[in-house]
Amino acid sequence: MAKLTPEGLDKISKAVIIEGDWIKVGMSSCGIAAGAEEVYDFFVEEAKKRNLKIEVKKCGCAGSCYAEPLVEVKVEGLPSVVYGRVNKDVAGKIIEKHIIAKMLVNDCIFDSVV
Amino acid sequence: MYAKTVLIKDTDTTREDKTREAYTRLLDCLREDNLHDHVQVVRVSDIGIYEHGLVLKIYPDNITYANVQESGLKRIADSIRDSKVLEEFVFKPKARQLRLVLRNCGKINPESIDEYFASEGYLGLKKAISDLGQQKLIDEIKLSSIRGRGGAGYPTWLKWNFAREVKADQKFVICNADEGDPGAYMDRSILEGDPHSVIEGLSIAAFAIGASKGYFYVRAEYPLAVERINKAIKQAYDHGLLGKNILGSPFSLDLEIRLGAGAFVCGEETALISSIEGKRGTPHPRPPYPSVKGLWGKPTVINNVETLANIPQIVLKGGKWFSKIGTQTSKGTKVFAVTGKVKNSGLVEIAMGATLREIVMDICGGTLSGKPIKAVQTGGPSGGVIPQDLLDTPVDYENLQKLGSIMGSGGMIVMDEDDCMVDIPKFYLGFCVEESCGKCAPCRIGGFQMLNYLKKISEGKGEISDLPQLKRISQAMQKASLCGLGQTASNPVLSTLKYFEAEYKEHILNKHCPAGKCSHLITYNIIEEKCKRCGICFTNCPVNAIVGDKEKGYSVIQEKCIKCGRCFDVCKFKAILRK
Amino acid sequence: MAKVISAKINGILLRVEEGTTILEAAKRVQIKIPTLCKHPDLPASAACGICIVKNKGSNKLLRSCCTPLEEGMDITTHDPEIVEIRRTVIELILSNHPNDCLKCARNNQCELQNLTADFGIKEESFPQLLRNLPIDQSTKAVDLDPKKCILCGRCVHVCQESQDVWALSFLERGMQTRISPAGDIQLSDSPCVKCGQCAAHCPTGAFVEQDNTAQVWKALQDPDKYCVVQIAPAVRVSIGEAFGYVGKNFTKKLYALLRRLGFHAVFDTSFGADVTIMEEASEFEERLLHGLRPLPLITSCCPSWVDFMEKFYTDMIDHFSSCKSPHEILGVLSKTYYAEKNKIDPSKIFMASIMPCTSKKYEITRNDEMFASGFQDIDTVLCTRELVRMIKQAGIDFESLPEEECDSILGEYAGAGVIFGSTGGVMEAALRTAHYFVTGKELKNVEFENVRGIKGVKETEIEIDGKKLRIAVAHGLGNVEYILNKVREAKVNNKEMPYHFIEVMACPGGCVGGGGQPYMVTDELRIKRALALYEDDDEKKIRCSHQNPYIKRLYKEFLGKPLSERSEKLLHAHYKARPIYVK
Repeated sequence: MAKLTPEGLDKISKAVIIEGDWIKVGMSSCGIAAGAEEVYDFFVEEAKKRNLKIEVKKCGCAGSCYAEPLVEVKVEGLPSVVYGRVNKDVAGKIIEKHIIAKMLVNDCIFDSVV
Repeated sequence: MYAKTVLIKDTDTTREDKTREAYTRLLDCLREDNLHDHVQVVRVSDIGIYEHGLVLKIYPDNITYANVQESGLKRIADSIRDSKVLEEFVFKPKARQLRLVLRNCGKINPESIDEYFASEGYLGLKKAISDLGQQKLIDEIKLSSIRGRGGAGYPTWLKWNFAREVKADQKFVICNADEGDPGAYMDRSILEGDPHSVIEGLSIAAFAIGASKGYFYVRAEYPLAVERINKAIKQAYDHGLLGKNILGSPFSLDLEIRLGAGAFVCGEETALISSIEGKRGTPHPRPPYPSVKGLWGKPTVINNVETLANIPQIVLKGGKWFSKIGTQTSKGTKVFAVTGKVKNSGLVEIAMGATLREIVMDICGGTLSGKPIKAVQTGGPSGGVIPQDLLDTPVDYENLQKLGSIMGSGGMIVMDEDDCMVDIPKFYLGFCVEESCGKCAPCRIGGFQMLNYLKKISEGKGEISDLPQLKRISQAMQKASLCGLGQTASNPVLSTLKYFEAEYKEHILNKHCPAGKCSHLITYNIIEEKCKRCGICFTNCPVNAIVGDKEKGYSVIQEKCIKCGRCFDVCKFKAILRK
Repeated sequence: MAKVISAKINGILLRVEEGTTILEAAKRVQIKIPTLCKHPDLPASAACGICIVKNKGSNKLLRSCCTPLEEGMDITTHDPEIVEIRRTVIELILSNHPNDCLKCARNNQCELQNLTADFGIKEESFPQLLRNLPIDQSTKAVDLDPKKCILCGRCVHVCQESQDVWALSFLERGMQTRISPAGDIQLSDSPCVKCGQCAAHCPTGAFVEQDNTAQVWKALQDPDKYCVVQIAPAVRVSIGEAFGYVGKNFTKKLYALLRRLGFHAVFDTSFGADVTIMEEASEFEERLLHGLRPLPLITSCCPSWVDFMEKFYTDMIDHFSSCKSPHEILGVLSKTYYAEKNKIDPSKIFMASIMPCTSKKYEITRNDEMFASGFQDIDTVLCTRELVRMIKQAGIDFESLPEEECDSILGEYAGAGVIFGSTGGVMEAALRTAHYFVTGKELKNVEFENVRGIKGVKETEIEIDGKKLRIAVAHGLGNVEYILNKVREAKVNNKEMPYHFIEVMACPGGCVGGGGQPYMVTDELRIKRALALYEDDDEKKIRCSHQNPYIKRLYKEFLGKPLSERSEKLLHAHYKARPIYVK
């Protein structure tokens, strides 16, 4: 890989723009301990199976460890929200309701997360 | 597709949760206003505001209403229709988190350097190398007044400046990631969530002092952090952000990970150095300070993970920007790991100067049990216990010290009335005694002696003369121990003695533990009048200390009882008396 | 030139060189800050926390042993708070130390006991916390009682850094911390070379010599035994310390004393040293002139050094002088030559060696060659400290004793023999005789100043018969590496050897600093002891071993000549590689 120059670094900073819909799963120790790996795998599989145009990503700990696994969902037209204590069950609802039907899922959101 | 979203949650814990009723009511109101196809209402589990009645958040307007009466819901529906804001309900938060260190945690993919680039990644390093140079860089850090986040609060720029001024053929930088306080995991989260920010901070430190080699000293119990640092280091090398001639400059730096083998004391910088050198991890007298004579006898700067994670932002936005955050003596933010009896345990980052009450009550939602807070313990095993009535103290290095505690690395443990103020210091002191390296006499023997006194008191064998003995040993440990571990190990004892002396005396004089925690001082008995003879205690007792049957009723054989409290917990009729 | 700084201690303004510790600086203005773990010759470990002082304006107390005095400091060394903290720390240490002082080998000579007395501690303030740890008596030379250890770390430093032996280390942590060989094995299975420097530096009774006085008392009372004794050079100049005399030579009082104790004959190890020189100088001459075995020749009269070499420098075995140590030579001669001449049944002879050394206790049974007379050549070894106890037990007023002479024929020694007790002494003695052996001419000036003194490694060049000889002297095993690495390098690269002759003594200062000498030894004291030996040499008419008439007689009557068959059989030994760790 080419080594970066100061100018190259400036360019790359501006070039990387993250857009589109995504699901982020908190995959720090706290999340993994609460079962985030299973949830992450579930989203990856479902997205593939249903051919969803959504990127499934990993991220670190957002701070609200009591509510892990945390899943942040950004879908065009809806506010980005964080779901907490997500298990396969809740993850299923997120796919069905939030991502496909474009409706937020009741009783699963943890808006305490900054 | 809905035009608006309303999140709704009843935050009052003193009554039954009314979220569902309010939800239905609001839907009705919206239907009345014919908005039901435009506005979606969502019940949430946690809305981030506590004890403020009914709370609603409206997106995309980003309006938060609190203490809304059921009667107010109609007006809110109308206001949405009319695109108005109801000032009387608008929630004015007392405390907010301010995320500098955790800015990327939970946001970016820690395994992607591109996402780090997208959030100003390595621009701080670039600015340091291309624009500032060593002197101006250190000046900026000085201007920011940032102090070490590892616990001692030593000005970071001073460390750097000492190391920079010493002439040496080689210098080192070390990132201290040997986080060991029980209940504290700020550093782990940063390393797992945003490893590049720490690498960037460490690189800037290396550039500032002229070091060409750096180490991450990470405890081996953090395998995921190690994995992510490793990946990040490799990515940085691939992009020429580590290695020779970084960003085309003469500055070169190699980074390497060293694993700590689990000794708490190796977080102390001279012990950490010994450990990296392959020696027994015991502290050494200072001076010479590591900045002058550190690893392999060379000038070495050791900074904590959180300190380093601050550095790129300071460089990028300027020391002046940073110095405007926080209090007179303590600038910037601090990350706390709030745990214990708290509702929302987790990481909280606040600007210095926020009060303990704001952190514990407003941000973390008070206690999980709903019982009143008894005290908050800060600073890890060597911190002190701060009683409930002092929770309005603004958090900074000096204030916590005045209260007999310390900032420490940022552990914060919330305690309610079920926590015993003899048991708590016994736990912490037990930790320090276990982790004492054994080198210096005051810490090694003093800690052990104190622990024995606490054990004695909690077992009901305490004498009133034990209290002055505890104080006497504490003083010797504080003043005559070699390193921070010994100097602060007695803080939990001293602070509980200061604020909860009555509880000690209750243990000693009346052989009674008010919190019902000290197993030697409590008994469990079955209250005949309340007992429904269901037998659940009988089946749950692990040592068969409960005898009887459904006909005759049950009783506890005290000689057999191990005071585990299982019967107390399982009895649905509150028929077990703990005394 | 170091910068000079000025500061105040207890209100006294003083100027010292930058870098001077507060402890040192205080001493210069007659203030003694109490310490426990700090040893004057060793770097501060800062373990005990007793030497704490206050600096005005700071809340923290400083450890004076390791904190340099800084410009403008205003230090208070004693105030009620400081004294109280010191007292608490001492009491804490006492709570973790068996209070059986009356039965302790260090009773009345213990630094912890002294401190306790100074602070007037009369009761146990804190409950006793004692660990049940066994005493390690495996070396038969130095015993380790970990219960008495206060973890000052002096022994570990000395063993690892000064001696480079690495037998001792800290094990475990917190209250479980203790001193032990790594791997929690016995000392005899560890790299320990029995030098006893741990005991010499220990502030308490954790390390002490294994006591053999009972054996000697028993022998002295046995009518069937013919008890003889020898005293090593270094003992005569240190024993006085037990009676308040520093750097004074008590040779002749010691002879008298030993007779009073009941020994039938009193010999002097310095005579043995003269024999050693005869053999060793001949060996050197042979290697130098005839090249039968390689140079450099390395001295072998220190058993700890021999043990160290057999473990760590086995590639040097060929270079080692095969000559036994002086007391072993005297031992074998007492049970052969002396017995024959005086018609005494050698099986009845009981030979006790009074040595500055703990390692000699190990040496006397180290292999079959230590039984060359057909019996154990030395029956027991007592250290200087043990002899002091015997003197006191016997109720002898040592200071008032008359001076007596030694018993012939194993007593009269040349000056060369007595300087064996100091670093460089063996080399100097050997050079005096080697010069004669090589050139056939006597030296005009027998003093080799360049090999004297306390410097860790001394290198010099001398000329014998027009030939330049390179000499090296090391003391303290930590100084060996430098010299022997040079030899190794030359060997590997087939280059000219850096030296012709090397002397090594395990203990810092040589035998005067031996592990069995009176306690509280410092470099200052080592120098004083050595000077007393050089004075003895200086006052002798006969300075060279080969001129000693008794030596001449010994060879004429008994041994024939140096390196003769009989000499080889009785006075020489062989070496073999030994494992560093015995499994």
